[in-house]
Amino acid sequence: MTFGVVARQSGLQPLEIVAMSLLVFAGASQFAMVRLFSESAPTLIVIASVLFINLRHALMAASLRSQLHGLPFFGRLLAACFLTDEAFAMATGHFRRGGRSLAYYFAFAISLYVLWNIATVGGILIGDAIGDPRRYGIDFAITATFLGIVVLAIRRRSDIVIAVVAALIAGGLALAGASTVAVITAGALAPLIAVFVRR
Amino acid sequence: MIWMAIVGSAVATYLTRSLPLAVTLRGGLPPAARRYLEALPVAIIAALVGPAVLAPAGALTHGAEPVAAALVIATVAWRRSLLAGVIVGVVAVALLRLI
Repeated sequence: MTFGVVARQSGLQPLEIVAMSLLVFAGASQFAMVRLFSESAPTLIVIASVLFINLRHALMAASLRSQLHGLPFFGRLLAACFLTDEAFAMATGHFRRGGRSLAYYFAFAISLYVLWNIATVGGILIGDAIGDPRRYGIDFAITATFLGIVVLAIRRRSDIVIAVVAALIAGGLALAGASTVAVITAGALAPLIAVFVRR
Repeated sequence: MIWMAIVGSAVATYLTRSLPLAVTLRGGLPPAARRYLEALPVAIIAALVGPAVLAPAGALTHGAEPVAAALVIATVAWRRSLLAGVIVGVVAVALLRLI
């Protein structure tokens, strides 16, 4: 919803905004694209930024490999279309609780895709009337969800250390103005702790 | 111009999502790599949380988000419920921002 509002206010055409949600389907990247478009950034810079921001999905896909192993090649390509932070987080929680059903992943991930696109259109149409979602704390809902998933996914003491280190690195980088690389850097560095420390 | 960027970005996002799933490595992974991959999910999700708690809207938090985050962690650890954690977090952050 917020994306539709922000993109429309930046002067993008409704068709362009809808196409971004349908084709690119990556929240953080789409917000970055809007900012870059408003600065008239070169096409290659836009694409490179999106690639960089979304590299974290490659880490997520790598970590989902073992669970999606049973799918045929085409099924895995289809699963990849709908891979998002949220779908990854929910699927990881599901699998860590012992779940095996891939239908769970597809149902959740595809619902997110449909909702994201409906919300984008909603944001374009009625966005101006919503005002600031920060006022009601709604923006914090997804952060709280991620926090809860981390808490439920903790299996051993090193998991806690890794989670805290990852959050601090990413938060520090964001504060330092490197928010585009914060998640990928922290996400790639923190698991090294698990390689060197057992338990 | 904008359309080229949109299509190019679409290709970029799909490649990051699909390549690790499409390319199959032969043989088993070394134990160190397996430990790394096992720790990845927690690290990435925690990394998504860090900026939202410490630097919401790109600037240092005024304190509402870290306090709300602590309440969410306590609630989920105690009740083992995501929904309870989310409700506590949203209500807490909305109230704390009023202060």
